[in-house]
Amino acid sequence: MMRDRPRPLSEIAHVMRCGWASTRAAAVIALCWLAIGWVLAQTGHDLDRMERLAAERYDARAVETVAAWRELIDDAATLSEPEQLVRVNSFFNRRIRFADDIDIWNVPDYWATPLETMGIGAGDCEDFTIAKYVTLRLLGVPNERLRLIYVRAQLGGAQSTLSQAHMVLGYYPDPTDEPLVLDNLIDEIRPASQRPDLFPVFSFNSDGLWVGGASAPAAVATARLSRWRDVLQRMREEGL
Amino acid sequence: MSLIKQLWIAVAVVTALAFGGNLIIGTLSARHYLEQQLYLKNLDNATSLALSMSQLPKDPVTVELQVAAQFDSGHYRLIRLIDPAGALLVEREFAGVRGRAPDWFVSLIPIVAPAATAQVQDGWRQFGTLTLESHSHFAHEALWAASVRLFAWFLVGALLAGGVGTLVIRHVTRPLARVVEQAQAIGERRFLTMPEPGTTEFSRVVRAMNTLSERVRNLLADESLRLEHLRRATQHDELTGLFNRGQWLNQLDAALGRDDAHAGGAVALVRVANLATLNQQLGRADADGMLLELARCLEGLAAAQPERCAGRMNGSDFALLAPGGGDPGALAAELAAALETALEKWGERARLQVPVGIGAYHPAEPRAHVLARADGALAAAEQVGGNATRVAQPTDAVPAHADLAEWRRSIEHALDAEGVQLECYPVVSTDGGVLHQEAPMRLHLSGAWRRAGYFMPWATRLGLMARLDTAVAREALARIGRDGVDIGINLSPESLREVGFQSDLLALLRTHPDERRRLWIEVPEYGVVRHPAEFRALYAALKPLGCRLGIEHVGLQFSHIGELHTLGLDYLKVDAAMIRGIDVDTGNQSFVRGLCVIAHAIGLTVIAEGVASEAELGMLAQLGVDGLTGPVVAAVE
Repeated sequence: MMRDRPRPLSEIAHVMRCGWASTRAAAVIALCWLAIGWVLAQTGHDLDRMERLAAERYDARAVETVAAWRELIDDAATLSEPEQLVRVNSFFNRRIRFADDIDIWNVPDYWATPLETMGIGAGDCEDFTIAKYVTLRLLGVPNERLRLIYVRAQLGGAQSTLSQAHMVLGYYPDPTDEPLVLDNLIDEIRPASQRPDLFPVFSFNSDGLWVGGASAPAAVATARLSRWRDVLQRMREEGL
Repeated sequence: MSLIKQLWIAVAVVTALAFGGNLIIGTLSARHYLEQQLYLKNLDNATSLALSMSQLPKDPVTVELQVAAQFDSGHYRLIRLIDPAGALLVEREFAGVRGRAPDWFVSLIPIVAPAATAQVQDGWRQFGTLTLESHSHFAHEALWAASVRLFAWFLVGALLAGGVGTLVIRHVTRPLARVVEQAQAIGERRFLTMPEPGTTEFSRVVRAMNTLSERVRNLLADESLRLEHLRRATQHDELTGLFNRGQWLNQLDAALGRDDAHAGGAVALVRVANLATLNQQLGRADADGMLLELARCLEGLAAAQPERCAGRMNGSDFALLAPGGGDPGALAAELAAALETALEKWGERARLQVPVGIGAYHPAEPRAHVLARADGALAAAEQVGGNATRVAQPTDAVPAHADLAEWRRSIEHALDAEGVQLECYPVVSTDGGVLHQEAPMRLHLSGAWRRAGYFMPWATRLGLMARLDTAVAREALARIGRDGVDIGINLSPESLREVGFQSDLLALLRTHPDERRRLWIEVPEYGVVRHPAEFRALYAALKPLGCRLGIEHVGLQFSHIGELHTLGLDYLKVDAAMIRGIDVDTGNQSFVRGLCVIAHAIGLTVIAEGVASEAELGMLAQLGVDGLTGPVVAAVE
């Protein structure tokens, strides 16, 4: 069990004892808020900005990938959700090469934004899942139908004892149905019952991070401490 | 509002702003921190509870137990689980009592930490959405406690700052009090000098005022010296330095007109009978030396009593005016003894004949009568020959009372039974307005209201003047209250020295705050010169009460009134001896003109006493005198 103990309030109150010193801290925090607010106001769904950033940061192939991705979004906007799933799944599975974070980013675990994934042309399972989730959200798929799901993947057939931590995107046509699984290991989108190699552990989406229905996430200084919220915030800054 | 009060308010406002601002910012930033931490706690706890629920069996009991366990062991306002269709599975909500933070504080500074949600999974299927919200009253309690502590510090800090500020202000403005005092003194025509304070700005102000005071002081010193020279040149005999005939007669006129302790008195005429023979026997220079010696002797006698004065009437005749009651016989003996001592050595070289004639007089007798009486006495003495002395009494010289004890009984009885009465003589300004009513006292003695000259010589000798003066002041205040006129009263020099008189007078004036502003108080010049310390103390005490303060009978000793500019006087009354015949006496004209210049320089009103004729009146107006009193005014009235 990995439950955090709530932070003791006595520790919180400690900050207030240094009320005089915190005056300056408060001013700094207020400035940060202003800056972040300004950044958020500059963003929203600005896909031109993403393309521009791709050109600035990456090579021509990356620009081409982002352009193709934009085309996909334009094309698939009018399609049905199952068709959108197929298009998005195959777009990333074909265009993005699988690689471990340690090889790409030189860190054991890194959650990349779609721009970073497309820019480098490679990513691991989280990067695929995030990119697909974001793209489907852009295409108008409701949040409650999408889940990022931690799964234990059994490798090498039913009798194998070799398993690996993995992440897939689940699509729930109805909240009570079993999900369709979008996975980077296989191209085909199958219902969960047809994926005996995967054992779900935990799922989440971006519900609850958007406070009170606001379009911007609760942008606080601590947001970057969470990988998920960190990547969401970086996406915002990149134009999503 | 005073400067000190304003500065204090400024210190208080600045302190309140500084500390209050800190209090508010501290509380708000602490609240922001608390909100963030609560929100993070919501997020993390929702996720970890959802994660653990995802792993465990989903039977209702287990699910309920997990939610209950988390809720009961933690600090939550709400934990709720709803299934994907929106139906409520489990809910725990805190409905307990509030924390220790008061309601107004909670509603004034709300802590808003949004609820967090997390997904609970049952295998591949969605099991439900978990909503979790921490209770904020713990945070509120912490915030309240911290705010209270901060407020306590604020109070301590503010009091400390206020205290230190007050001390600093007091230190900074301490010289200000002295500066204000000096400025006020100058406003009251007291030109004082002060040590310069350390503060630059104050020191500049004080230096400027000191310069002004110094300039006034020098001006007065120079002018009064010049005036004294002028007076001596025109009023004194060249050889002996005694008064010349004209001025001595003026003094006699003034003395006859007096109505105070020195009313009545005696005139002594001293003649060097055989001056022509002496000139031959001694030679002119030695004869002059002998005359000079005689003059010194008379001068000595004059200085022995206030108001006496000696003059040289012509080459061989000298005169001594001795105002004030007393036995003329005693004067005769005093004179004879003094002359004998002075002329002893000359007697060896020449046969001296210095007869003396003494004529006593009553108040208000005509001058000619008095002089004739003295001349008669002198003639009688001359007949006797040698250094004989003769005394002539007025024909109606019958003393009202036999002895001092009887005078005391009679005056005290009059005071107790009838009190004093004030007789008013108007003092008018030269442009026609009435300045005040000069009010000498009257006492009911021997069946009639008697003038001051009748009883004051005796009252003075009996030490009753302080009682009389207090009675006069009381009566004057009553009259002012009744008639609404300005009244001037004279204080006798003897009262100045009386223990308790000053406090009696001040106590009396304090009980009449309105009337005392219309009261004019004056002391004769010889009193000021003889008792300068007492006079100064009395006027310093009277000045703040708003009475008008003056000096009367100003004349011969004007240059001896030291530090005139520091007294805060309002007016001067010039002695009748200086005024008599001023329309023709150019010497006295110069004196009065100079006096007016000095007095006006420090803002004093100049009033002429004993103005007897229209011609004098016209001349005085030209000389710059501001006010008049005397027979001519009474006649006009």
